[in-house]
Amino acid sequence: MAGTAAVVLTGFVLTNAGATPGLLRATVNGTAATPQGVLPHAFLKLDTYPDSAAGPHGSDGGAHPDWVTYGPTSNLEVPAHSLVTITISQYDSGGTITNPYFAKAVGTVGGTIEVDGKTETEIDPDAVGHTFTIHALPTNQDPLFVSVPLPAVADDAPLVEGSDYAAPHVVTFSFITGGRGEYIWNCEYPCGDGYYAKFGGPMSTQGYMSGSLNVT
Amino acid sequence: MSAESIVASPKRRRRDEVRHIAWLWLGLTILLVLFSIWVPARLMGPPASPTMRAVESTMTVFSIAASPVAALVWAIAIYSLFRWKSRGEPTEDGPPFRGNGPVTASWAIVSSVLCVFLLIWGLAEMTSTTSPAEASNPLVVNVTGQQWVWTFSYPDQGDVESDQLYLPLNRPVVFHVSSRDVIHSFWVVQMGIKVDANPGVTTKTSVTPDKLGVFDIRCAELCGLRHADMETSAHVVNPADFAAWITQNGGHT
Amino acid sequence: MTAALVDQPVEPVSTAGGMLRRLNLVTAIAGGLILGLAGWLISHSLLQDDDLGSDQVVLVTLSCWAAGFMIGIGALNGPIGWALGRDLRHEDELFLAGKDQGVARYFRFTTDHKVVGIQYLVVTMVLFAFGGTLAMLIRTNLISPHSHFLNPQTYNAIVGLHGLIMIIATIIMVTGPFGNFIMPIMIGARDMAFPRLNALSLWLIVAAIPTILSAAVLGGIPTGWVGYAPLADQAPPGMDAYSVFIIIFAVSSAVAGANITTTVLTMRARGMSWNRTPIFVYGTVASVGLAIPAFPLFMASQVLLQVDRTQGGQFFVASGGGSPWLYSNLFWLMGHPEVYVILIPALAALMELTPVFSRRPLFSFNAAVISIAGIVGLSIMVWAHHMYASGWAPDLNGPFMLTTEMISVPTGLLFLVILGTVWRGRIWTTVPMMATYAMLWNFIIGGITGIYLSDVPADYALHGSMFVTAHFHYTLMGAGLTGAIGALAYWFPKMTGRMLNERAGYISFWFVQIGFNVTFLGMFAVGLAGQPRRVVTYAQLFAAGNFVSTIGAYSIGIGMLVLLYAVINSWLHGQVAPANPWGAKTLEWTVPNPIPLENFEVLPVVTSDAYGYGEEDEPASGIDPEREPVLAGASADLGPRPVGASNVEGGP
Repeated sequence: MAGTAAVVLTGFVLTNAGATPGLLRATVNGTAATPQGVLPHAFLKLDTYPDSAAGPHGSDGGAHPDWVTYGPTSNLEVPAHSLVTITISQYDSGGTITNPYFAKAVGTVGGTIEVDGKTETEIDPDAVGHTFTIHALPTNQDPLFVSVPLPAVADDAPLVEGSDYAAPHVVTFSFITGGRGEYIWNCEYPCGDGYYAKFGGPMSTQGYMSGSLNVT
Repeated sequence: MSAESIVASPKRRRRDEVRHIAWLWLGLTILLVLFSIWVPARLMGPPASPTMRAVESTMTVFSIAASPVAALVWAIAIYSLFRWKSRGEPTEDGPPFRGNGPVTASWAIVSSVLCVFLLIWGLAEMTSTTSPAEASNPLVVNVTGQQWVWTFSYPDQGDVESDQLYLPLNRPVVFHVSSRDVIHSFWVVQMGIKVDANPGVTTKTSVTPDKLGVFDIRCAELCGLRHADMETSAHVVNPADFAAWITQNGGHT
Repeated sequence: MTAALVDQPVEPVSTAGGMLRRLNLVTAIAGGLILGLAGWLISHSLLQDDDLGSDQVVLVTLSCWAAGFMIGIGALNGPIGWALGRDLRHEDELFLAGKDQGVARYFRFTTDHKVVGIQYLVVTMVLFAFGGTLAMLIRTNLISPHSHFLNPQTYNAIVGLHGLIMIIATIIMVTGPFGNFIMPIMIGARDMAFPRLNALSLWLIVAAIPTILSAAVLGGIPTGWVGYAPLADQAPPGMDAYSVFIIIFAVSSAVAGANITTTVLTMRARGMSWNRTPIFVYGTVASVGLAIPAFPLFMASQVLLQVDRTQGGQFFVASGGGSPWLYSNLFWLMGHPEVYVILIPALAALMELTPVFSRRPLFSFNAAVISIAGIVGLSIMVWAHHMYASGWAPDLNGPFMLTTEMISVPTGLLFLVILGTVWRGRIWTTVPMMATYAMLWNFIIGGITGIYLSDVPADYALHGSMFVTAHFHYTLMGAGLTGAIGALAYWFPKMTGRMLNERAGYISFWFVQIGFNVTFLGMFAVGLAGQPRRVVTYAQLFAAGNFVSTIGAYSIGIGMLVLLYAVINSWLHGQVAPANPWGAKTLEWTVPNPIPLENFEVLPVVTSDAYGYGEEDEPASGIDPEREPVLAGASADLGPRPVGASNVEGGP
């Protein structure tokens, strides 16, 4: 009995440790003029993949090779009181989002995003691939709510030569951070196929479609 | 200590015991009533609606009503521990009476009366906290819970949508609450209202915010990975500011 | 080990027990592993074990494990024997009862109720150790708003496991060990009505424990112990482990409930009329009797959930015509009776021991019985007070408020019974008696906070907050577990033949009780201030209260470790106990230590109840002059006795 308990506790410790993936720090490059004055400008690059072959889970796809995932990691760090510009290359297909609110750009500078070079305020709610939605306990730190839709790659899009994926949609957006704080982000487009409300599996697992964003 | 007093006139001793317990009861009751007046409602924070005010007065009144009950139980318990304690294993038995009909009956009657009081209070409170908003031209807000964010829309203001709740001061609001996936629970903490957000059905709750400020909306039903972070703010603003906010977000009032 | 037992020198040529001679816990585990592996291989090859198929594979594997375990322990030998027309010989029955098997009988499908009681005690303690460790992990994580001690997935999994394991442990903590070991002797029986069902109920739980622990490596139970659908429809395969566990546990509790109820109804000693039946017996029967209608509903909810999860059913899926409220109703139809399944026997144990340590008759026995009956009756009509805020049938909130508040009347009477019993008694402040006092303190707080929650508008403000968590810990732990610890300290000398180390008992008592009040008063405060339950991070506002709670929890942890030490140490090396160390009058104290296989050589005949302290036909002193072990049934030796079993007659 005690042995079983020890095994199970070890299991917990391992899952606890295993679900904390590597940290990706934004690189600061110069300053930018923003509505809040001149601030340091930080950059992050992320990807979303239709499976785990290309993400942070190893070349064999890890425990769940068929799960959709963000990459290169889900554990992000950005500087406080800065303009943060994130570029996400979105390789996955998609469909109609359950809540059209998340087909809009929310909380970005100017309320806009750049989709493949074009400035938009929202995308077609019937062709959403994923979203990148930042929030947190508003009482513990400066409020930060940023939600950005990522358009779906068409199902019949041709594969890029030498790659397993079709050409991605590239979405760029910027937001301004306040003071230090601990935020989380997740995807609000239900993409956990095979689970109730498509929100189980990768959607409910840190390191896949949800992660942390620390403002330092 | 007890050995000597047992020998002395048992009637008088019994009277003394009852008197001591009565004093202890009174003292504890006073302490508990003071606690009831000062602590529970204060911990709940300043109310932001008549509903929350009613809840806080319920907490205070129920605490006061419960004070003599708890005090009586603790008074007898504490007294027995000091006065009737035997040093080590008892060398004799206590008095053999097996009950006391009048005491048992009064105990049952008093607790039934208290129970009826609680019920009547609760029913009156239910009526007073639910009816006003239904009555007069309420603001309707659709609340959508989904893993793990809240969104709000204002169907009568041109379907304005927001991830934070904005409410005008002193206008009754009816929330139509539903969920896109699992069960969430829509809780505006300082307004004292809560109703589950269920998939497939719409539940309702209503309140009249009567205090300006920013209040907390939390999810009160475990809903998965980010349940703890499923929080947002409720802003109660002057009606003019509310109209301005609606217009600014592309709606009309 | 098995071979050594077969070759016991006592009966070298005996074949009693047949195949059961070779079956024990080791063969059970082997059987479970073999069948479990077979189930895994077959289901794995038949079903595609990707993320979609893994639920089915887990369901099949865990079910096979449990079946293999039960075959390996020998649970099926009896039924198969009967099916083949073979009945047991007398020596087979004696073997089955564990005769002359020493410690080995504790690892077998042994039918002796005393063995089963000890097995239940150990199982309960293992569950508490595990659930308590998880509680420490939870509290450590909550020591600060963003402690990062646990990530949210692990935290949610641990919260669910802690809740479930503790609920199961508290359900069995009194009726398991004491209901099985003590209760039959208390009513003057030689064993339970269905000894083999008794062993079956115990080993089903043992078989089920690994299934619930396996949830830890299968993604956990991210739903809390309630397993609310449709979150449960979405959860990882740990949820399947939860279902299998609940289904097995429901069978076990039904078997145990039928057994205990039948035993009490039919096997009380001659002369033990209902008004001479000890109050603990009432508590035990009320508890298991209430479990009989309650747990099948939980089992049904899990069967439906498994149809949803593994067969594509839509019972709880609104978009498919199902209803999440169906789950919550099924769950709480079990869930509210269940809290009284936990509470009643613990309170009854305290009502049983309070007269002993007050040297007073139980005050108003009838009020105690009526209260228990009233609580049982009302408890099946209050379930939807857990659902005031769910939106289900708001018009019923008023009626459910009525039934819920009515429960305070019979519950209040139980306080009167205990207060009336200590009234002018000779209070002997042993550890069991201290448990009574701790219960009086804690349960008043638990009860009053329950009244706030019964009030519909107040519940709208408090539901789902830490206030609720603190409230039910005050009832289930502050009253329930405290009562079970009191019962353990009280019956320890009879169950183990040794006294529980008193000093360690006191140290543990104060660490646990002070820590408990610190922990959960702090939790009331943050709950009132608006902290939701089951959150891995929380607003800065709640930091102080949570820190206090965590420190209190560590004190509970220390106290529980001291208690564990006291139990193990006293069991092995404690002072040898006389047959009746407390001067109690119930029948279990009339049998010698160690208790003979069938308890009574001659069945006792009862002529009074067990609470006649200070009454005329008693010796002037409340202490039994013959504290030495006495053989029940030797009527000439006994004479008028303070054991409630005076005039014990010879003859079966």
